Amino acid sequence: MRVLVVEDDAETADYICSSLNALGHVTTHAADGKQGFLDALDIDFDVMVVDRMLSGLDGLTLVKSVRGAKVETPILFLSALDGLNDRIDGLEAGADDYLVKPFAFSELSARLTALARRPPIKAEETRLRVADLELDLIRHNASRSGEHIPLQPREFRLLAYLMKNADRVVTRTMLLESVWGFNFDPRTNVVETHISRLRNKIDKPFDTQLIHTVRGVGYSVHA
Amino acid sequence: MFTQYEIREWVRIEMKSAASTLGSVYQAEGIEALINSVDTLAKASFENAHIYQLLDQDGSIVFSNIPVKLDDRLPDKISAEALHLTSDVNDELESYWMRADQIGPYRLVQGSSDHVFAEILEALGYALAAGSLVVVFTGLVIGTRVGRLTERRIVDISKALSDFSGGGLEARVPIPKGKHDDFSRVSRSINLMLEKTRRLLESQEQISNDIAHDMRTPLQHLRQQLEKMQNSKNLSREDVTASLEQTEEIIGTFNALLRIAQLEAADQRARFETVNIAHVIANVVEVFEPFAEDKGISLDTHIKDEAVTVFGDRGLLTQLLSNLVENAIKHSPSSVNVEISAGLSLTDVFVRVADEGPGIDPADHERIFQRFFRGERSRSSPGNGLGLTLAKAIAELHGATLSVSNANPGAVFEVRFPIQ
Repeated sequence: MRVLVVEDDAETADYICSSLNALGHVTTHAADGKQGFLDALDIDFDVMVVDRMLSGLDGLTLVKSVRGAKVETPILFLSALDGLNDRIDGLEAGADDYLVKPFAFSELSARLTALARRPPIKAEETRLRVADLELDLIRHNASRSGEHIPLQPREFRLLAYLMKNADRVVTRTMLLESVWGFNFDPRTNVVETHISRLRNKIDKPFDTQLIHTVRGVGYSVHA
Repeated sequence: MFTQYEIREWVRIEMKSAASTLGSVYQAEGIEALINSVDTLAKASFENAHIYQLLDQDGSIVFSNIPVKLDDRLPDKISAEALHLTSDVNDELESYWMRADQIGPYRLVQGSSDHVFAEILEALGYALAAGSLVVVFTGLVIGTRVGRLTERRIVDISKALSDFSGGGLEARVPIPKGKHDDFSRVSRSINLMLEKTRRLLESQEQISNDIAHDMRTPLQHLRQQLEKMQNSKNLSREDVTASLEQTEEIIGTFNALLRIAQLEAADQRARFETVNIAHVIANVVEVFEPFAEDKGISLDTHIKDEAVTVFGDRGLLTQLLSNLVENAIKHSPSSVNVEISAGLSLTDVFVRVADEGPGIDPADHERIFQRFFRGERSRSSPGNGLGLTLAKAIAELHGATLSVSNANPGAVFEVRFPIQ
């Protein structure tokens, strides 16, 4: 991925960039809002990380300006602001995701990968496939090796989200947000139990495991 | 007896203290809170007794309760006509004493009508002009009485303000029963502002106490782990993981504390919408059901009216329900039911979460909602002791009440929302 990191705190910027570089991504760092704006217009990035509070041009204005200039690159807001409406303000300004500081790098990385532009897929994608597991989004039908697997609606939605992000890591908070609209994290193991139910149906009766646990980070569906 | 000069001085002091209180509201909470407070004051001022206008850096009107924009070079006194103000109730609007203050980048212009004082002076004037000793005498007696009463109330106001700024956060302006004059209105607005300021100050103080109280221990643990790693020759992965988990826990507690403080100080409901409570419950039940089943607990939902709605924030209402359901599951023995019901009564919308656990000691019914309170029975289970505090803060932001009672067996948590 080519990532633009607009962050005025040098230490955080360095941490984000070097961690992304270590994963093989290419980063460009802009130390203030104006530079970030110019870079965003100049170069074709796959995803942008924008700090909410920047000197000069603040993050909110930056994102609005970038969107105003018809740049559609996915944007993740990184913010120390977590007031009642800050998140909604950020998304309404045109960002696609919002992550509150302090954050774990694995969370940032998973979210960026999920956001990043992919080669254009058919808009009318109605079937998801990972190895021999198939999901028909129209008929709400799941099957593995041609064998029908009965799923409850909640299990279906969870699996669909995981399969849409196949080969990537999905964190617990991403699941809570996207599948159930929970923008907070219950301390109990709710996500774990949902995954374990799903595994019993999808993985247990078969030889190869498709739902993998990424320790301390989340889950990933892949062959 | 009052002179024009004394009246003017009093009005000035009153406007000055209003400006300084509004200034602290702005500093603590920002522009939206400032606008809200000015709006409250304006609403409390009937019959155009007070003018409020808030201008931004560019001189554009942010808030105003009069139709004209006031010039920056203010004279001390402006006539009502110049302000295009008329009153149906009161044709005695004459003029306003004016004052302008800078609050951050904003300019607050205030005006106070002199008609109350004009009335007093007028009454005295008639009495004197009549020339009759009796009338003069009566006039003097009444005048002095009015003067004394008025002075008394001014003293009350200035005393309340100075007590408050001296740290007596409970100080309020006494409002005599049955009085509905301008003094009572001003006093009420002042009390409103004092109350708001008190809430802000207390929530600030509370959060620093809480941080000291419950953040030091986990921070101490983290420090110990890090020191241990620093001194050990081979770094163990487990220790690093434990430190990271400890960090996560501290961040979790910190976020919950901040959120509670935000909820308690908030009074803006800009993002509220009509939310179907049945949908919120269904979603929360869906999330917790497998978890509950693993404990042998079944979640039973009874919705008496599918269209039961409240005016609120969907995300926060989800968190409120989630905290109550989570709490009920945690405190239930296995193989029992947790019952979640919702419906409409004559006066409110209610949501109940009932468990079949050991119930809650009646002595703790109030205390369980306090920060970090953990009943003897729950000390051994995980949690930061903030779930119910957060739930209550969310309920209160929605104008709802959250209370607990015992049902033998078990505890019943009930949220009551006012009907829209």
